[in-house]
Amino acid sequence: MALRTEELLLNVGPQHPSTHGVFRIVVKIDGEIIKEATPVMGYLHRGTEKLAENLNYTQIIPYTDRMDYVSAMTNNYVLVSAVEKLMQLEVPERAEFLRVIVMELQRIASHLLWWGTYLLDIGAMSPFLFAFRDREIIIELFNELCGARLTYFYMRVGGVKWDAPDGWIQKVRDFVPYMRERLKLYDDLVSGNEIFLARIKGVGRYDAQTAIDYGLSGANLRCTGVKRDLRKDQPYSVYDRFEFDVPTRTEGDCYARYLLRIEEIKQSLRILEQAVEMFPEGPVMAKVPRVLRPPEGEVYSRVESPRGEIGCYVVSKGKDSPYRLKFRRPSFVNLQILPKLLVGESITNLITILGATDIVVGEVDA
Amino acid sequence: MKGLVKGLGVTLRNMTKKKVTYKYPDEPMKMPNRFRGVQHFEPEKCIVCNQCARICPTECITLTGKKNPDPESKVKLVIDTFDLNFEICILCDLCTEVCPTEAIVMTNNFELAAYSRDELFKDKEWLTANNTNVREENNVSLLKAKKGGAE
Amino acid sequence: MGELLTRPLTWGSFLTFFLMAVVLLLIILFMVTYAIYAERKILGYMQSRIGPNRTGKFGLLQTPADVLKLLIKEDVIPEKADRPLFKLAPVIAFVPSFVVLATIPYSEHMYFADLDIGVLYYVALSGLTVIGIVLGGWASNNKYALIGGMRSAAQLVSYAIPLVISAVGVVLMSGTMNLRGIVEGQAGWFWNWNFIPQILAFVVFVISAIAELNRTPFDLPEAESELVAGYHVEYSGFRFAFFMLTEYVYMIAMSALITTLFFGGWHAPAPFLEFIPGFIWFLLKFCGVFFFIIWLRGTMPRIRIDQLMSLGWRVLLPLSLGNIFVTAIVMEIVKAING
Repeated sequence: MALRTEELLLNVGPQHPSTHGVFRIVVKIDGEIIKEATPVMGYLHRGTEKLAENLNYTQIIPYTDRMDYVSAMTNNYVLVSAVEKLMQLEVPERAEFLRVIVMELQRIASHLLWWGTYLLDIGAMSPFLFAFRDREIIIELFNELCGARLTYFYMRVGGVKWDAPDGWIQKVRDFVPYMRERLKLYDDLVSGNEIFLARIKGVGRYDAQTAIDYGLSGANLRCTGVKRDLRKDQPYSVYDRFEFDVPTRTEGDCYARYLLRIEEIKQSLRILEQAVEMFPEGPVMAKVPRVLRPPEGEVYSRVESPRGEIGCYVVSKGKDSPYRLKFRRPSFVNLQILPKLLVGESITNLITILGATDIVVGEVDA
Repeated sequence: MKGLVKGLGVTLRNMTKKKVTYKYPDEPMKMPNRFRGVQHFEPEKCIVCNQCARICPTECITLTGKKNPDPESKVKLVIDTFDLNFEICILCDLCTEVCPTEAIVMTNNFELAAYSRDELFKDKEWLTANNTNVREENNVSLLKAKKGGAE
Repeated sequence: MGELLTRPLTWGSFLTFFLMAVVLLLIILFMVTYAIYAERKILGYMQSRIGPNRTGKFGLLQTPADVLKLLIKEDVIPEKADRPLFKLAPVIAFVPSFVVLATIPYSEHMYFADLDIGVLYYVALSGLTVIGIVLGGWASNNKYALIGGMRSAAQLVSYAIPLVISAVGVVLMSGTMNLRGIVEGQAGWFWNWNFIPQILAFVVFVISAIAELNRTPFDLPEAESELVAGYHVEYSGFRFAFFMLTEYVYMIAMSALITTLFFGGWHAPAPFLEFIPGFIWFLLKFCGVFFFIIWLRGTMPRIRIDQLMSLGWRVLLPLSLGNIFVTAIVMEIVKAING
C-alpha cells in the first residue's frame, strides 16, 4: 500500500534571509522536492520610471542610485550616457577615465558582496565577513571621492561631479595588488572546499539556447559559453582602450557562475591597473547648459553592469524632463528563468540557484 | 579533503591577524571631507532664490521669505522659515550644488537616528546650529563651471 | 566518589546525590554560558573582528545578559500550535542532554555514575532528544519547523548508527563499555590513546558526532538560510533558551565523550607529566575538541540533505563496519603472536 502524501505549499519570503530583500517565491513541494515555483515580485516597487517623468534629468540620477543599490555607479552611468547620447555631448577624457575606474571598482565591490552573501546562503559564515572587509575598502574610496558610501550620485550629464582628490589614484593603484592577494586567500578558503563544490556543481544547469531565449545576460549568460560582454562587443566610454578578457565557461551551472564572477574580479583589476596608468589630465565636466533640454528623440543606451546588461531607454520631447523613461534591469530579466530551473530541485537548491542568479531586489522591482 | 584543510588553515591563521573593526561609538568616525551629511544653513547668506527647493528631487525643502526688516539694505527679501524634512531627504547634494551663495552647505555629521519622526523635521534654527564639521569644498564644480563659462 | 556510589540508597545518600546533581547542573550551566561566549569570541577572531565586548569586561557578561533577555521575554505560543506538545517539546529535548553528562568520568575520582554500559547509555539517551525536536517541529504548526524537524529526525537517526558502530572499535580494544574502563585502558604515553590505533573509527566518530550535534557543516535542521531556523522557528523566550541550552550541553557532552573515548580522558600525554591533576588534562583536551567544533563552524559551508544521507549510509556506515572487522582481526593476530 502506498503511503498517502500531500503536496505542501510553502511561502518563501518576502521576509526570508536568503531572498536578498523582499522577494517572494511560492513553491509547491513534495517532501523537499519542488513541483512548482512562482516568483512574486513588486514588494520594493517605487515607480522610478514614472517618478522620472516629473523630474529633470539631473534629479533622476539619484533615483538610479537606488535601483541597483549594490552597483549604483553603473546605474548612474547608463542614465547619463543615454542623455549624453541624446544631446550629443562630448565628455572630457578625464571624466571618462574616472567613470571607468569607479565602474570597475563598483563591479568588484558588487561581486564581492555577491560572493559573501552567496557563501552565507550556502551556510559558510566567515567568507561573508572577509568579503565585506574588502568591499569596505572600495566603499571608503568612493566615500572619499564622492561623499557617500552607497548612493554615490557621482556622475552628471557631461562628466562627473568631483575630480579625484589628491592621492586617490594612488590608493586605487595600491588596491589592485592587495585585492589580488585577497583573491588567493578566498580561493584557499572556499573555492577548493569539497562541501561547497558538491553543493553547487551541476546545480541549476541550462544551455546556451535557453539562456538566450530567456534573455539572460551577464555571468548568467556567459556561464553557458556565450561570449557576450558589452564592454567588448559594443565598447562604450573608453573601454576600447583597455586589454581584458571576457571569461566564459561551458558548464552552465552555479559553479560556472561562481567561477566567472571571481574571474571577472580579476579582469576588472586588470582594467583598473591600466586605467590608473593611462589616467589623463584635464577637466572632469563638459560645458553643459544649466538646464538640460535634450532635443526631441529617442535613445537606448546599454552598459554591462555586474549583473548583466542594463539598458536605459529615454524618450524626449525636448522638455527638461523625459517623456518616458524605461530601464532594462538585468536582475529582473535574469529572474525569468527561475520557475523553470526550480522544478524538480530541493528547497536547498532553491537557495543555491536563486543566490547564483545574483539579484538585487531594488533593481528587480525598480 | 585538501580544500577543507586549506580552508581551516585560512581561518586559523586569521585568528592572529589584526582586527579590522572600527571602535565606532567609542571613537567618533571621521568622514572624508566630501562626505554628504546633514546640511548646515546660514540664514544671513540666503537670498531666498528658491533654487534649492526647486532642484530637490524629493521636495523635502520648504522655505518662505519675508521683507527685509531693515529698509536701508539692498536685499529686499530675507529668509523667514527654512524646513528640511529628513524623513525624505536623500542627501543627494543637489541643494548645495545649486545654491549661489553657499547658504546651504553640507556637513560631515551623519548621526540622524531619532526616537520620533517629528525629530527628523529640521527647521532653520536647528540647521543653523548644526555648524560642526562643515564641508570645505561645497560647489567646487559649480564654481569651476562658472569660471569656465567666463573665460 | 566511587565508594559513595556503592553505598546503599538511604535518604541521606539520596540527598547527597541530589545535591551533587544540582551542583553539576549549575556547573554545566556556567560552562554553557561561557561556551557560547567562547564560540562567539573565537568566531569573531577568525573573521577579523573582536566578538562581544560591550557587556562587562571583555564582554564577559554578554551571554548572561542574553539569557536574561530570553527569560524575561514574552512567552509566545502560536495560535494554531498544539499547545501541550509545544510546551513539552523543549523539556523532552533538554532532559536527556543533562542525563548523559552523568556517565562522563571527568577525572580518576570525579565521576557521577559508574555504569558498565556507559557508551550505550550515552547514545541511547541522546537519541531521545530527537523526539523533542520532531515534536517541537510538529507542534509549532509551521511548515519550516516541520521540514526542520523531519530533517533532524532523519539526520539524527542515520548518524547515530555510524556513531555507535565506530565506538564499537574502541570498546573491542578496551574490552569494556564502561567509560572509566575505556579511559584506564589508555594509560601511559599518548600513543596509547585510542585515536591512533583507531584512527578510522576516530574520523567516523567525529563526523557523526558533529552531525548528531547539528553543527556546521551538518546544521541542516536549523539551516538558517533555507529554513530560517528550522524546528525552533516558532519558539521564543525561555522555550527557545531551552533548545539553545540543549544544543550547547550536547556540544559539551560530546566533546567530553570524544575526549574520553579517543584522547585518553584524564591521562597526561606522557607519564612524567602525571603530576598535573587529571582533571586539568581532561579540561585541556576537552577545550581542544570544543575549539575544533567551533573552528569547523567558522570555515565550512553547509552540506545538502541528500548528500548528508548518502555520506552517512554509503560512506560512514561501511567504514565503521569495516573498522570493526579490521580491529577484531588485528586483535586476534596480536593475541596469537603474543600467544
